[in-house]
Amino acid sequence: MRRIGDEAAATSGTPAKGEDRSRLKRAVPKYGALAILAACAVLVFAQCGAAGGSPSGGSTPAAQGGRGFNPSDVMFLQMMLPHQEQGVKLVRLAKGHAVTPEVRTLAAAIETTEVAEARQMQKRLRDWRRPLRAASGEHAAHGGLPETTDAELEALARIPADRFEREFLNLLIGHQDDAVQMARLETGQGEDSWTRQLARRVDRSRSAQIKQMLKILDPQPPEDSHRK
Amino acid sequence: MRSRTKAAAVAAVAVPAASVAVLVGSATGASAHGSMSNPPSRVYVCKNEGPETPKSAACKAAVAANGTQAFYDWNEVSLIDAGGRHRQLIPDGQLCSAGRAKYRGLDLQRADWPATSVKPGPLTITYHATAPHADGNFEFYVTRDGWDPTQPLRWADLVPIQTFAHQNPTTFTNWTINLPQRTGRHILYSIWQRMAYSNEAFYTCSDIDFGGGTTTPPTDPPTDPPTDPPTDPPTDPPTDHGTWAAGTSYAAGDKVTYNGSTYQCVQPHTAIAGWEPSTTAALWRKV
Repeated sequence: MRRIGDEAAATSGTPAKGEDRSRLKRAVPKYGALAILAACAVLVFAQCGAAGGSPSGGSTPAAQGGRGFNPSDVMFLQMMLPHQEQGVKLVRLAKGHAVTPEVRTLAAAIETTEVAEARQMQKRLRDWRRPLRAASGEHAAHGGLPETTDAELEALARIPADRFEREFLNLLIGHQDDAVQMARLETGQGEDSWTRQLARRVDRSRSAQIKQMLKILDPQPPEDSHRK
Repeated sequence: MRSRTKAAAVAAVAVPAASVAVLVGSATGASAHGSMSNPPSRVYVCKNEGPETPKSAACKAAVAANGTQAFYDWNEVSLIDAGGRHRQLIPDGQLCSAGRAKYRGLDLQRADWPATSVKPGPLTITYHATAPHADGNFEFYVTRDGWDPTQPLRWADLVPIQTFAHQNPTTFTNWTINLPQRTGRHILYSIWQRMAYSNEAFYTCSDIDFGGGTTTPPTDPPTDPPTDPPTDPPTDPPTDHGTWAAGTSYAAGDKVTYNGSTYQCVQPHTAIAGWEPSTTAALWRKV
């Protein structure tokens, strides 16, 4: 995961970060109005929803807990939302490229389920009167907001057709592997039972997707395949 | 952990908003990040070669195996919920990836991973932590005498060297360890277990060469497995498919029973755990 606001990382390992992100911005228009619509529907709801008036005002600390939920619950949802936005963008790339029917079906099902999950996550945060995203500074305090692969999305979109499926699956495996880690943090530390159940479903479904993708990449793994 | 979180939540109410981020950050199990930079871990070597432009045959193979993203995220070969359960959570053969599919290229069993020359005796090592959180235990191991780099790395292959407990790392932290007598190629393995606010742990494999071993036969770069296009899953006519079962491919319209209720598939997919009909309205409609 690359992380917004993780300055230490920015100076050490991934010098091209800023560049990467700006490159993606140029890439986004490729998907045009659909992408914008989707972003609004899926995630930029913070702004889309503001017109309907609801997310809490600026005075509430973004990841503060409340009755029956704690800061881990809030932060998990606030981190999963942008993570899934990235994920949905990623799986949509399968539509415009030559992939096997199995991959196409999986990508479409991931898109549908993650869009639905994102709606539920947004509802939960709105019910709690918490912003749909934490300020980036808050993420920086605990390592940064996980931000998968803006640059890679663009690079992937341009990849030669014969290499697309493999690269696509590798990127998606890594993305879902990160989601599993985020979910396990919530499972261990969250308080709200709905959010904890969601985290368990995220853990199980992403782990199963990874298994399925590893099998597509390598139909007969040596002996001991990776556990996720 | 839970009580700490609650305490922080309570504290958050009482302090100015500007301080809250920091409190919340640590309470929710802040993610630290890092890897061994000297001798460099496999992931560190390949990220330095460049994820898009790997030079060594081993890094090329690792990028081919798991893609480039793992090497951009070189400082996160970690398990967020480890809490000391390393041996339970990470299967033999997957120690270098921490059992994470994202990093599976690091587990490639090859005798040509770029290795740092070392001698038995004192060795100063460096850990590069991009988010150096306070209070962690750093455990260092070396592979046993006679270990073969072309075999899977198992927990039983690791011999403890030293543990530095309750360390407060900086961006680059040095320790001196004492390497035992070995010949040829070995792995220096490390575990950074955070001890406060988080159960997160980080894992590294650094290839080291004591010399005097059998000369490493050059390894051919592995050829990509032929990618047979998987055959289209058979599309059965919509029908009653009995009890929902993970692993089954369902077509739109298929009906299943799950926990005593009947559901109809609204989008074709292969069923998996976590996509049960009762909780996945995106894929199943109750009928």
